[in-house]
Amino acid sequence: MSNAVSTRPQSESEFASMVDGLALDPQRSGELIAMLREDHPVYEQRGTNTIVRMRGWILLALAQVGVTDDSLIFVLEELDTGVDAYLVAAAARALRTYNQPSAALVPFVMRAFNTVRYHDDPVSFDGYGDYADSSNFTTPTRELIKTLAWLGAHAREVLPELRSLRTQGLSKKIKDEIDLAIEAIERDGPAVAAKDCCEFRGSLRDTLFWALGSRSPTETIKAVVFEDHKGELITFRDFFRDRPSIVAFFYTRCDNPLKCSLTIAKLARIQKLLVEKGVADRIQTAAITYDPGFDSARRLQTYGKDRGLELSSQHRMLRATEGMDLLSRHFNLGVNFIESLVSRHRLELYILDAQGRIAASFERIHWEEQQVVEKAIEVLNEKVADQTPAVQEQIARKDKRARTAGVMGAIASLGVAFFPKCPICWAGYLSMLGIAGLDQIPYSPWLQPVFVGMIFLNLLSVWLRSRLTGGMIGFYLVSVGAAAIMVSRIGHGSKAAGLAGFALTLAGSLLSTLRSAGPRFPFQGKWSNLFFQPPVR
Amino acid sequence: MTTKRKAAKSSKSSPKRKTPARSARTAFAMATNSEKTPKQRIAAMSEVPLAVCENDENLQAILNVLRNEAEPVPVRLAALQSLQAASFSVISFQPCRADYIATLRKIATDPDPEIRQRALGILARDKDGFAQKKLIQGLQNPDQALLPPEKALQLLSNDVHAEAYAIAREMVKNPPNEIAKQEALRLLAADAESAPIFEKHLRDKEETREVREISAAALQSINPQKMHAEARKIVLDKSDHDDIQATSLTALATTSDDTEAAFIDEELFKEVERLRSKGSANVKKSARRFLSKFGR
Repeated sequence: MSNAVSTRPQSESEFASMVDGLALDPQRSGELIAMLREDHPVYEQRGTNTIVRMRGWILLALAQVGVTDDSLIFVLEELDTGVDAYLVAAAARALRTYNQPSAALVPFVMRAFNTVRYHDDPVSFDGYGDYADSSNFTTPTRELIKTLAWLGAHAREVLPELRSLRTQGLSKKIKDEIDLAIEAIERDGPAVAAKDCCEFRGSLRDTLFWALGSRSPTETIKAVVFEDHKGELITFRDFFRDRPSIVAFFYTRCDNPLKCSLTIAKLARIQKLLVEKGVADRIQTAAITYDPGFDSARRLQTYGKDRGLELSSQHRMLRATEGMDLLSRHFNLGVNFIESLVSRHRLELYILDAQGRIAASFERIHWEEQQVVEKAIEVLNEKVADQTPAVQEQIARKDKRARTAGVMGAIASLGVAFFPKCPICWAGYLSMLGIAGLDQIPYSPWLQPVFVGMIFLNLLSVWLRSRLTGGMIGFYLVSVGAAAIMVSRIGHGSKAAGLAGFALTLAGSLLSTLRSAGPRFPFQGKWSNLFFQPPVR
Repeated sequence: MTTKRKAAKSSKSSPKRKTPARSARTAFAMATNSEKTPKQRIAAMSEVPLAVCENDENLQAILNVLRNEAEPVPVRLAALQSLQAASFSVISFQPCRADYIATLRKIATDPDPEIRQRALGILARDKDGFAQKKLIQGLQNPDQALLPPEKALQLLSNDVHAEAYAIAREMVKNPPNEIAKQEALRLLAADAESAPIFEKHLRDKEETREVREISAAALQSINPQKMHAEARKIVLDKSDHDDIQATSLTALATTSDDTEAAFIDEELFKEVERLRSKGSANVKKSARRFLSKFGR
């Protein structure tokens, strides 16, 4: 790309002349597309309405050179999330120059229509920065209906909706456009195959995934300090570690209901999906504000709770108290500011791996919650060998704890089964052990209730593990074993019953500690974590 | 007997005989007929809001009245009021919105100041880019101003994204008048970077009470901790203004549990207890509220 537009034009008229020049040269359309990125220098310290005028003009320039696969995402972004009449109308006009009309474009057009139909402000494309103040104007809805006409047979599925709109309270000019669109769609022959709607999303590069070896390190932002919704301070390094994270960016003063407000509401739905999948404590979520100067802890908490976000130590809303610039550079955030106030931003959501590195991103177009959760689980299930030493150590610790619990339970059973009932029995044991020189072991009656307590503890832990793994056989074996041991202690008892009880307890305990790839487990939370880490499906 | 009484009596004696309501079409014809008296037309205008968006002819007729500089201003204002009333019904007004907004932009530069102000007011509340651009241009170049600076600042404060912070800060430094300064401060109340400006104005006892109160409210919104620190100093300062002390007490009553210890102590309680018994009515009320919050 040429550096011609990497510098900031001084005035809007200079900017308009520059864009007009680029629009005349199809070879330089890449420069136009680059200017649609929010962090391009042309937007530096520009306000919201100025940026609307500038981006609108670039979209109209793209309409002159023709929208390509590379620029399509910016056009669809306006249709998907835009609420400004000028930008939506410009995007609708630009879309008509895309060389591959497809049924997959229709939902974007219809969504934009439903968004702007009650704010159908007049717009003028006559000159840069023009505002329509006479009867000679177009509107976003008119441009959108024209785009449906351009889609022709690809838009056949919305014919009933168009006919219904025709009968609703719309202006005569829009009704005339609808008539023309219906005619164009009907004239264009039979509907194209439904498959063209599904092939499209694949080519739309709104989702990026970085393989393990290609992820950028987080050295530059490890020390960035956040304040969370409760006012607690935490660094990037301390929060984004040990488990994958789903991170959304937003700010509370965003006045586009299709962006920040919806992003947080969708993040809340992601949290619910994480719970349903049983990974709420293994994948964390974070909502980071673009506007840390204004978004205080209290504002963050209120904003999140109002939109259904569940907040905890693993699910936080964050404001960077220092290092916002570093954060912005690291994530390559699609946002620009005038002073500290956000002027414009894109939708952006990231999945970080257990080391805080960006593993996937969802940008510009609305993401589906299910898709995000699936991607996060994919990151969660990445090979253990690729995880941090800390994570590996944690997993190993948990495995060890589970196995130790089983063995300890068995030892307790053994202790109860063979515990001497009286000092004489103890002397008997000692006479046997005396051969090995262990004659100094004192008789300790208090050990018996300790062993009994341990049996019950083992019984409880095996029950919990069995519930988690979905297989209760281990618990049943341990229960029968415990009962046999108790029976062996009644009266003179039966050594055979004690031995059988011990064997059953040992078998049941070990069975319950084996890792299972069984079905989803009914318990969530710390109990499930304590004993078992099933692979996620 | 006055005419009103006669009418009332007549109405009571023959309840079935009502004055036939003027049809919307008749009212419309009257409202848009330049040969009728302004009084008749204004009266008719008040009956047409539901009809202005019934069809394109009605809409264009009333928009023509609004646009026409030769029409009497009260009639044009009545037309604007009818359109504004109709626009509240967002769904039924949808077919008319684009023409209405285009007309408002047209009359935003009308020679009549009241028409301009009303049009710019409606557009600015809708965060219209055209209106914001014109208002900012007017603040930057007073000879091009469509409205007085204080009104322009007030309208710009409808939108935090209006790109007006720089010009508002300039207005605070060099205000054309006291009201403009207050409006500029109100506009900056959403700007986190303006906290030092508010601290300075709040501390300055030479500033007017209004300016200091606006500064207190703004600081409370932008940076409550800084406000609590300033508020504490003000409450302990026996020479400060009653109203500012009352405002400061209200701010201190909103401290959160985790910051409470930093600002609330025995010294403060003692002074507030003194104010409860010796301050002005306003201060006493705030002092009571503050003490009751802390169980005193």
